[in-house]
Amino acid sequence: MSLLRVQGLFKAFAAIRAVDSVSFEVRPGEVYGLLGPNGAGKTTTISMISGLLKPDAGEVVVAGTPFWSDPQKAKRIMGVVPQELAIYEELTGRENLEFWGRMAGLSSGDAKSRATELLEALTLTDRAKDVVKTYSGGMKRRINLGCALLHRPQLLLLDEPTVGIDPQARLNILEFIRSLRASGTAILYTTHYLEEAETLCHRIGIIDHGRLLAEGTLKELQERLGGDRLFVLEADLKEAAPESWDGFLSRFRVIQKTERQLVVSALGARDPSECLKDLLGLPVRVENVTLKRPSLNDVFLQLTGRELRE
Amino acid sequence: MKRILDIGHNDLRLFFKSKSAYIWLFAMPLAFVYFMGFANRGPGDPSNRRPPVLVENNDTNFLGRALLDELDTQGMWLLDPTNRESAARMIRIPEDFSRRVMAGEQSKVGFFKRDGSAKSDAMLIEVRLVRALIAMNSHLLEAAAQTDNAPESITEEQLREVMKKPNPVALDAKFAGRKPVPSGFAFSLPGNLVLYLLMNLMIFGGASVAAERRNGVIRRLMVHPVTNLELVMGKIYGLMLLGAVQIGFFLVVGKLVLGVNLGANVPAVTLTLLVLAWVGGSLGVLVGSVFASEDRVVGLCVLVSLLMGALGGCWWPLEIAPPTLQKIALFLPTGWALKGLHQLISFGSGFGPAVIPLIVLLVFGLSANLLAARFFRS
Ligand SMILES: Nc1ncnc2c1ncn2[C@@H]1O[C@H](COP(=O)(O)OP(=O)(O)OP(=O)(O)O)[C@@H](O)[C@H]1O
Ligand SMILES: [Mg+2]
Repeated sequence: MSLLRVQGLFKAFAAIRAVDSVSFEVRPGEVYGLLGPNGAGKTTTISMISGLLKPDAGEVVVAGTPFWSDPQKAKRIMGVVPQELAIYEELTGRENLEFWGRMAGLSSGDAKSRATELLEALTLTDRAKDVVKTYSGGMKRRINLGCALLHRPQLLLLDEPTVGIDPQARLNILEFIRSLRASGTAILYTTHYLEEAETLCHRIGIIDHGRLLAEGTLKELQERLGGDRLFVLEADLKEAAPESWDGFLSRFRVIQKTERQLVVSALGARDPSECLKDLLGLPVRVENVTLKRPSLNDVFLQLTGRELRE
Repeated sequence: MKRILDIGHNDLRLFFKSKSAYIWLFAMPLAFVYFMGFANRGPGDPSNRRPPVLVENNDTNFLGRALLDELDTQGMWLLDPTNRESAARMIRIPEDFSRRVMAGEQSKVGFFKRDGSAKSDAMLIEVRLVRALIAMNSHLLEAAAQTDNAPESITEEQLREVMKKPNPVALDAKFAGRKPVPSGFAFSLPGNLVLYLLMNLMIFGGASVAAERRNGVIRRLMVHPVTNLELVMGKIYGLMLLGAVQIGFFLVVGKLVLGVNLGANVPAVTLTLLVLAWVGGSLGVLVGSVFASEDRVVGLCVLVSLLMGALGGCWWPLEIAPPTLQKIALFLPTGWALKGLHQLISFGSGFGPAVIPLIVLLVFGLSANLLAARFFRS
């Protein structure tokens, strides 16, 4: 059974459709990645799941119970790590953990012992007694994450938990999240970093302008592009019109076309060398052809016509 | 319930993390209590003051001294000429005072007005002077009766003996028709405490709610199993704790250091102030929920609390304010808080007359709290 099921979620702010008919599920022990650029609707989705916003339409079901039929029960099951650093800068790391633990329903004693465990797990033990204000960006991110974990939530909502920190600190956090996944937590992870989605998430939903454009494992998404390789042509393509090339669109799918570059995938199971021959015979002066494995960026590119840059 | 307490205790801890808190909560109001207490002082019990009188005793015999003692008994504050500046009136006893009186002749005691002295003081002095003279005459008559009507042979011992006897008929003259005006620290302590309690709780409440809305802490609180009402009550409870610290500090300092007589009912004084803290805390949470920018919130809280303080009688006694201002004060929590506090502290009344102000304050508190709960948001 899925711990979180989101069905036809919709939210508009005046004319902006921030979230438009989004549906997905997250199962125990799974990291579901919601990948999308700024303004895609990731935070709005998480806000609706955690009860901060009421959806205009659609439903959030947590552990089998619709959220709004028993919000307090749903909130006890979930832990939420907000995109912003919502912690008390004037308190120490330990004081923050203990306070948020008590808010999640722990007794003072339990909050204390859990705080000790988490400080250890987040490698913050030696800074536990310093006020958060004096922490580095990465350390603040770790405390921000830890503050949602004291009650061992079965469902964890992470809103861009690594945004704005250096690669080493990011690796630390990703490693920590993998250990949570291994212990059976269901995790919803929003990000606009392709690499995080590729390496951390079991399944990925690509969201843009509030719409969930595609969903699946990395492999499934790559296969949407037709096979496991892409051809990149470099040529002067200012005047070129692939749709007028004889039979071209029945053999290839255009992923991206710019003035200098054409990215295509082969349709059907064809031999790569045959495809190459086809491409070299096109009515343009080809300067270079390369082969590459399709990345999530290519999937995004094909779905939106834009690049999702890091 | 547990969450309300947790939130309140956490907020209290946070308030005291800021160093400026100590200035706003303690140092500044204390300075105002001190200086305004001096600027507005009146010696003695405000309901039965001892106006200062400058005395020049030129008499060579004992009757002059006896008259001075009688003046003291009648409630005058006798100053010697080194302190002449603070006197409202002056009395001069002539050198032949004893001789003429003992001889049954009339003696003129000089009574002079000093420029710029308060009218009410002068009236009080005249009343008491007349009373002292009447008392003096009756003492002399009584003493003379004991010496077989030979007034010239009265000794100082005999007269003093008579003066010591309790009066068979006591006359207690006070201001009539009008309450006395609270003065000195007995005025400046409740006045400033009411003003700064309200101001601090509004500022601390408003600024912290606005800041936590900005940095996402309120939103984070809301994703926990806490209801919005619990959150609001936790915030207000934390502010009331902060208020309680300030109230405790000022009552203790007022009593032990400034020597203010807090009246017979200190629990009622404390209760009145705590209800005012409820009003202030709720207003703070309300302002912080409605306005987003911390600067605007703080500015508004300072403005509103200063206005309510001034119009409510925190800076000058409402007793001397024009009737319009007295009416405005009826619509302000500060006005009612001070009404109750002056009853309890300055007029030494029991709990009875402070009940109505307390009930009105409770209505203010409840309304502000409901509004805060209604408008609270992330
Ligand atoms: N409270 C709001 N009022 C009006 N518009 C809003 C509000 N919250 C979000 N939006 C709009 O909804 C859209 C989605 O915003 P959202 O914050 O969900 O995006 P996001 O995917 O989290 O972006 P980011 O990666 O920048 O955090 C944006 O166009 C945003 O401007
Ligand atoms: Mg976001």
